Amino acid sequence: MATKGEILLVDDDPDLRDSLQIILEKKGYSVRTAANGREALEALEVRKPDLMILDIMMTTETEGFDLAYELKNKPETKDLPIILLTSFLERVREEGPDKFQYITGEAWPAKWLFEKPVDTKRLIAKIEGILAGG
Amino acid sequence: MVHPPNERGQLNLPYELDKRKRIILGELKERTLWFIRLRWLVPFGIVLGTLLARWIGVGVKASPLLWAAGFILAYNFVFFLLSRRVKAEPSEKEYIERFTYWQVGFDYGTMFLLIHFTGGIASPFIFFFIFHITFSAIFLPRRSTYGFAAIAAAGMGLIALAEYMGWIHHHVISFQGRGIDLSQEPFHMMVILSFFAGFVFITGLSITAVMRMLEKRILDLAELTETVTALNERLNTLHTMTQAIVSKQHLEQMLRIATSELAKAMDVQAISVKLLTPDGKFLRFAAAHGLPPDLMDRVIELEKSPLNRRVIEGEPFVTGRVTQRQWFQFGEDLSAARLQSVQFVPLIVEGRVIGILGAYSTRPEQFGSDELVFFRQAAGLVAIAIENARAYEAIENLIQERSHFMNRVAHNLRAPLAAMTSVLEVIRDGYLGDLNETVRNYMNRLDRRVEGMLLMINELMTLAKSQSKHPEMECGPLNLETIAGRIKKNFQEEVAKKRLTFELTIPKDLPEIRGDPDMIEQMFENLISNAIKYTPEGGRVGMTFWPGPDQTVRMVFSDNGIGIPKSEMPRLFTEFFRASNVQDAIGTGLGLTIVKEIVDKHSGRINVESEEGLGTTFIINLPAAQRRMV
Repeated sequence: MATKGEILLVDDDPDLRDSLQIILEKKGYSVRTAANGREALEALEVRKPDLMILDIMMTTETEGFDLAYELKNKPETKDLPIILLTSFLERVREEGPDKFQYITGEAWPAKWLFEKPVDTKRLIAKIEGILAGG
Repeated sequence: MVHPPNERGQLNLPYELDKRKRIILGELKERTLWFIRLRWLVPFGIVLGTLLARWIGVGVKASPLLWAAGFILAYNFVFFLLSRRVKAEPSEKEYIERFTYWQVGFDYGTMFLLIHFTGGIASPFIFFFIFHITFSAIFLPRRSTYGFAAIAAAGMGLIALAEYMGWIHHHVISFQGRGIDLSQEPFHMMVILSFFAGFVFITGLSITAVMRMLEKRILDLAELTETVTALNERLNTLHTMTQAIVSKQHLEQMLRIATSELAKAMDVQAISVKLLTPDGKFLRFAAAHGLPPDLMDRVIELEKSPLNRRVIEGEPFVTGRVTQRQWFQFGEDLSAARLQSVQFVPLIVEGRVIGILGAYSTRPEQFGSDELVFFRQAAGLVAIAIENARAYEAIENLIQERSHFMNRVAHNLRAPLAAMTSVLEVIRDGYLGDLNETVRNYMNRLDRRVEGMLLMINELMTLAKSQSKHPEMECGPLNLETIAGRIKKNFQEEVAKKRLTFELTIPKDLPEIRGDPDMIEQMFENLISNAIKYTPEGGRVGMTFWPGPDQTVRMVFSDNGIGIPKSEMPRLFTEFFRASNVQDAIGTGLGLTIVKEIVDKHSGRINVESEEGLGTTFIINLPAAQRRMV
């Protein structure tokens, strides 16, 4: 069956990753997963998804941040929508709202950033909004 | 500038002499002016006396007396005009003395005239010489007194001789036709003359003798006064230092105040504090008021500095001439700064030497033994202050470490809990298949406990943040009405669910407060959420703001809920406190700790009144923002 869109879910926590994958798939999206920045880049090589959900802190505290920053600087992935996840909102604030704004294109506090544990209703609403908007 | 008395008095000899001179000169000036004022009475006395004499029938020639009175009036007026210059300017001793001599000279001349016209050697005016003898004995050099006595005696002798020899006319005072003509009685004349001479000399002699004693007393008193002033200044210094020790917990700041105060009180160029390194091998400057700044970076190796080693061993070091170069590692720097005397004492706390307190002066031989006593006392205070500041900093570091640790723990607990929540959601919401009622019920229980745990972790993180040394407090003027309004709106749903009355009272002219908006909102949120949580259905929750006393804003959070048991009130603000009458499981026991932390951070005060079963009221006073004049 045709999916509502393809999502690349990047998170180093397998429990959270699997749970979120099940929920998103039930909601009608096709989901690919990656556990770190390298895997994410490989997955992007294969095929560009409609949307990316990215954990900011993985192996290093800013691995996700750095990856997102890199993708925003590449012409082929510049327009890929990225939703950021974090379990440490304060840390993101310290890292710098400027960087954050560059990635998501909106000012702090942003609706593109979700704190863990993720409020799935809000997340899905956001995804639908993004994909509907093109 | 205060020059404290020194035990070795000769060191400040020029200064001491100068001081004595100043005191005597001041007195002389004062009395000269007084003498002029007194002289105004003399002409009137003469006129009055002449009239009286004539009235009772004394035969005396009036016109020369009245002329003399006029003359006195005239020259006193000139002296009066001159005296205004004396008063206004800080005049030289010689000038004032000369001024006084001229006055006495004129007085003498007039006196001799008066005496001549009122009976020569028999004149009653001869007694008036006593004034001038006394005056000069008190205020002029001793020679002058004898000089004036000699002039009086010689002048009288000359008048007597001239009248006896008939060189000048002898004016006889007569009463009822009978006059005493002593000029015809050489023996009587000789007797009176010699007794008069004896009288003026003895008067001069005895008064100068008494004056010598009195003068010493006056100087002693003046000296004592200065000693007391100096001591008082030192007491003030010790007080200021104590004040700094009590109120300034940071070593650097405290030492800056202590050293500058000490330098002021001791009237020295510089004060230094050198502290031993933990290994006890080196000394580093912790403060150096008045020393060249590059000296601060020098490290003194005890091994190479016999002087510092000696002080560290407990023996003070004092020298009046920094010429003994072998003692000083940086002797060149001292002489470059033109420092001549130094004084070093050990800083001792509980029998342990922790460093050296030093004083440096540009005057040679500045430090006497009473300086040393004071300096040792000051060193005692400084040493305690250093220990205090170090202890304070150690505690601050511990608190810092604790907050940091708390934050890490909380954060590390958060990640697995977040994963757990997601896994739970997948099961609970039936993504893996339908659940029966019992399983769903138990899943919900699990969910609620996980949620409670997350809440607790969030609050721990908030607490760690507000306890940390440099919380990112964004202090600006806050409009309480906006924040309070937002709180009321946020809790609308819960208030409606429990059918509570929520009263918000906020006067229009309420002053703003300065604070971190997030923290203040968090504080309101915690207090209101507690009030709602512990108030039964249909109850009342209130939030009231008033301008408080002394530039504060008073905030009152009240409810008519279950209250807090009296016995548990003291533990109210401690971490993880939960009142025994609380049955509901949701709650972390961190909310009020955070509230207290935020109130402290904003230099405010919090009070609680509570009656079990009747309700609880929290009263918070926060400083109002200073209104800026535009």
